[in-house]
Order: sequence, then structure tokens, then C-alpha cells
Amino acid sequence: MDYPASADTFLDALGTGIVIVDEGGAIVYANPALAQRLNIAIDDDTIGRSIIDLIGGILLAHPETAQILNRQLRDVGESALTFNVAADRAVTLYIGAREEGPRVIVAATGWPRSDAASADLVAQVDPLTGFGNRLQYEERIRAFSTSKDRGISVAVLVIDLDNFKQVNDTLGHGIGDELLTLVARRIRTCTRNADTLVRLGGDEFAVVLKHELDKERISALSQRLVTLLGQPFLVNGHQVNIGASIGIAALGDLTNNVHDLLKHADLALYEAKKLGRSCYAFFESRLEEQALDRRSFELDLRRALGLRQFRLFYQPQTSIAENRVIGFEALLRWDHPVRGRVPPDEFIPFAEKIGEITTIGSWVIRTACEEAMRWADQTLSVAVNVSPAQFTSDALIHVIRDALNKTGLAPERLEIEITEGLFLDQSEDVMARLWAIKHLGVSVAMDDFGTGYSSLSFLNSFPFSKIKIDKSFIQADDSPRSKALVSGILSMGTSLGMSTIAEGVETSHQYNEIAKGGCSIAQGYLIAKPMPASEIAGFLETFTLLDVLAS
Amino acid sequence: MSNALYRLVYLSHNNLEGDHAALDEQIRDILNVSRRNNMQACVTGALMFNTEYFAQVLEGPLHAVEATFERIQCDERHSNAIVLQFEPSETRAFSNWAMAYVGQSQDSAEQFAAVGDESHFDFSALDGDEILGLLMENLREAESLGNRQ
Repeated sequence: MDYPASADTFLDALGTGIVIVDEGGAIVYANPALAQRLNIAIDDDTIGRSIIDLIGGILLAHPETAQILNRQLRDVGESALTFNVAADRAVTLYIGAREEGPRVIVAATGWPRSDAASADLVAQVDPLTGFGNRLQYEERIRAFSTSKDRGISVAVLVIDLDNFKQVNDTLGHGIGDELLTLVARRIRTCTRNADTLVRLGGDEFAVVLKHELDKERISALSQRLVTLLGQPFLVNGHQVNIGASIGIAALGDLTNNVHDLLKHADLALYEAKKLGRSCYAFFESRLEEQALDRRSFELDLRRALGLRQFRLFYQPQTSIAENRVIGFEALLRWDHPVRGRVPPDEFIPFAEKIGEITTIGSWVIRTACEEAMRWADQTLSVAVNVSPAQFTSDALIHVIRDALNKTGLAPERLEIEITEGLFLDQSEDVMARLWAIKHLGVSVAMDDFGTGYSSLSFLNSFPFSKIKIDKSFIQADDSPRSKALVSGILSMGTSLGMSTIAEGVETSHQYNEIAKGGCSIAQGYLIAKPMPASEIAGFLETFTLLDVLAS
Repeated sequence: MSNALYRLVYLSHNNLEGDHAALDEQIRDILNVSRRNNMQACVTGALMFNTEYFAQVLEGPLHAVEATFERIQCDERHSNAIVLQFEPSETRAFSNWAMAYVGQSQDSAEQFAAVGDESHFDFSALDGDEILGLLMENLREAESLGNRQ
């Protein structure tokens, strides 16, 4: 039997497409199988052309794929790219690393076809980055779990990009994809050939390490990755800054089951993100407990409304000039049968995060209107806190209008309290919604003034009915500076034609100070603690402010 | 668009360690490697350095500049890159690729003078350009601050 005499004839006889390009990217050799694989004609003119030039026709309909290929060819690292040459036929190009001299590119369709295991290998490649995909991760983990090597050490790093979504949103998915290929390449430069590199999906990557696994080496690698991925990227003429957070789990460290590693690394990643991003964290068993706690807290919170565990408490607000109650602020209370009373600053942010705040917030508005209708004095106002998360849609306006209509509460009795956080993104929609609320006849107060992103331009941007001065100012020390601060806020409110209300008034001294400063309304323990709706009637009957102040 | 001429200007921390002789050797190594790579990619520009900072100007076709920057980013001899400018440019300020010491130290200036001369560093290319002027200022200041610490 005759064997091919030279490498050239051997390559010519091969069923797999092979191209060799020189350092400048010009084709120096292409075998006949390449023409077959790519559905193109190859002749003497092919030599000297660029790959992109050669297969540009195929990629015309897929400019993004052409862009990726371009980038891969410019890069020195090895990579792979799969694309369709015909409707039902995909080809994968395996691009060899560019070192000194020529570079080899292999074009294969499920290559080699006779070998099912290798076909699987193609299915395990992420075409964008050339990394493995989730399937490859599963395969590697399965291999580890059946390995006879008792002393096998495996660690998994899950890498998640910070701010990647913003890149996609502002620069488009094309740039986003290119960025991912650059990220993949940076990850590759930090790792060794024996490490398994995986794109788990989206902007999440994993590195599986299986040798020399001391914590110092893993820490050093993680720090290097965090640093490198935090460096600027240049993508298609744009400067892009992202960052990366990394979660780490290792075999033998809290688990002997390789199947736990990804879950543990994900939990550690969550912790790294919580620690402020652009850092790495190792899995610890407490993270799993915390995750379970979070889950049960979330379930409880989602059920709380249906199980009628929420109640509104009301804290009176008194006019300083008239010495009488003029209204109440509605405050949400959650009494859980096992957890007891859960503080609002624990469950409100959580409700905002899981999207429950809209439903809970609607209930609060509706209930406050309903209960205020039962008060003996039908001039008393009721103030309801509304989270910035509720301002993301027009639904809030409908909820308020609906609550007023159904309960019959006079709109001027309802006051919506918002915080400075609402203005953080300076959205026109938010302003439109504030005006829509005002047009319903409902007033809007600025809560917690001076604690958040205090910008005086906010005060000027909307006719707030009241400025609520945060209790931290009212309860501050008696220094001239603190006093100057409070009196400054008070006179600013007065000048802008807005009432001022002092929160957290606990002593007669504090009351006298704000009264002297010209504050219009007081609220705090000195007057009364928040009370359930059922106690309001009795309170209104017996309460006189002068008694309180005299005592 | 991909072949449009772009200019990239950035500062980064110099992570090189060692005495003057060791630095000189590493600097020459950088000069040789980058000269070879950049020539191939049609990238021209300048690398200015002192014991604290690198300041780099890269000019060339967009993708070549991006690829060069990406390669440099992965180099552990520097860190904390701050991009001062990255935009299309009508002309090249540097016609070749050169390196020079820019800093306060007289010793270093003498030590590294040869590198600048050998690589034909043309300081006049920096004249009259605001960004390049700021780059030089940053560089000079960085070393004077570093020396005081």
C-alpha cells in the first residue's frame, strides 16, 4: 500500500480542511478538503490571500461572526469558531496559536465524524471564546468523580464580570461579545494549559484547577485575575472598564463531592459581590447557611401579605403653632409567628430586591386610605412611604387613584413620602409620575432629608409639601454646629414655601429647639410612639399636646 | 473603520524591580520586543518611563492598537493603567517607536540617556499637544512624589 510521500500530499489526502497562514495572515497552503468543508473554490489565487478574504462571502450574512474571526486571527492565542456554511451545515475552525512562523487553522464538521467522542468535544466548545461550555464542565466533573485517583485535588473558580450588562446596554451586544473574547483571552494568560477554562454562560466563566492546589496559589491566581480583568479594555474604538468578582471552592475543603463545587463557588461569588465586587472569596460553610436563611426569609416575605402578617402602625404628627394633631404617618410592621417582629430596614430592602415591594406598597397605600377614613377627625392627613422601586412604572399612579376612588378618601388628606434616593438617576419618568400624583390632589413630602444624596436642586425641581428633617439631626448633640445645621434646613424650607417636619423628637428640649427654629410640625416618641389603627380613636380623644410638653 | 488611524495615550504603574543596571536591562528588553512587535503591526509611538510610572503613546490602525494594548495589559511588569486618550487621529506624532526616561532623578536621566538616544526619541513630537503635555507632567510629578515617600 502506498503512503503519501510528503507532508503536502498527506495533507492533500486528508478529509479535514487545513489552512496554513504566515505571520501576516496570508494563506501559504490550503488543502482540497478545505474547499469541501467551506463550500468554496480553492485555486492558485488562494495562496497569498487572507482567510477572511477567502471565506468573507460565507460570513457576509453574519457580520458579527466575521468580526469575531477577525479578532481571533489577530490574536496570538488559540481559539475556535463555529459558523454555518449552509443552512444545515456548521463548520468549526480551530485556530492554532500564533508563534514564530506559520499558523495552522483546521476546518472540521463534527471532526472527525467517525469518532463520536471527538464530535462531543465540538459540542463542548463555546464558539465565541473557544473555552469549554457548561457541557464540558459537567464532563470534566464527571471524569473527576469517577477517577480512581484518591488524592485528586480539584478547585473551581467562578468568575463573574461586574458591569458587563452596562456594556451590552450602551455599546451593543456586538461589542459585548468582543469584550467576552478579550476577557477569555486574559483569563487564558493567567492560567496553565492543564486548567479547564469554561464559559458557563453570559458573562460567567469558570476555571477548573486540578494540581498544586494550595490556598496561596489559588489566591494569587484569583488576585491576578481580579487585577487583570479590572484593567481597561479597548474594543472597536471604545474604552471599556469592567471588573470581575470570583468565588472559589476546593475539593477536600468542606466537601468531598465534586458536584458541590460549582454550587459552593457560586455562593462564594455571591459573597465576593457582597464584599464590594472586584475581589475574590473562598467558600465557607456559613455561606450555605446564609443562603438557606435568605431563601426561607424570601419565602416568608412572599407569603406575608397573603398570610396577613403585615399591619400598619400610625405615628401622630402635631402642628407646633396650633398645638394639635394634624395627621399620622403610616408605618409598616411585619409580625411573623416564628421570627417575631421583623424590622422594616431588614425586610423592605429585601422586598425591593425580590420585586415584592410593589405588591406590598400597594397594600400599604390602600390600607392607609381605608383606615384613615375611619378616623373621627376627617381632616387628619395620612402619610405613606413609597420606595423608589415603586416609581419604576405608572402602576403607582393607578394604585393611588384606585385607593382614593375605592375608599373615598379626600386626595388632599393623603401624603406620599419619598426619599432623596428617588432622584439618583434623574429620570424624566420619575418627575412625570411625581407630577401625576400631585395632579391627583395628593401631596408629596421629602423624607429623611439630609441623610442621602442631598442635592438642593431636588428641592427646587418639585413643589414638595414638606421637608422631613431626619432624626439624626434632631437628636444630634447640642453643639452650635448641629444647631446651625437644623436651623439652616428649617429656614431653607420656610423660604421655599415648604412645611418642615422634625422626626424623632424625643425630649421637650429637642421640641423647644425646633420650635424656636421655626419648624412647623413635630413627630416622635415625645408625642407618641407608633400605634395600631385600633388605638387611634382613644388616642385622639385623650391626647393634648400641652400636657405632654408640660410633663 | 477598523483601519482608521487611532492614538492611545495611557499611564501605568511601573512594577519593574531591581537596581539601575537591572532596570536598564529590562528596559532594553522591552524596547527590543516592542519594537519588533510594533513594527510588524504598523504601530508607532513612544514609551516614557521612570521608576514609578510608564507613559505610553501608541499610534496605528485601530485593531493593531487594540491588540497591542491587550498584549501589554497582560504583562505583569506594569499595572493600574489609566487611559488618557483613545480616539481617531489624523496624523502620527511619532514616526517610529522609541523610548525615553522622563523624570526628576539626575542619576536616572544619565543612566537611561542612552536608551533615548539609541531609539531616536524625538521630544519635539510632544510639543504643542495638550494630552502629551499632561502626560509628561503626570510622569514628572509621579516620580518626584515617589521619591519623597
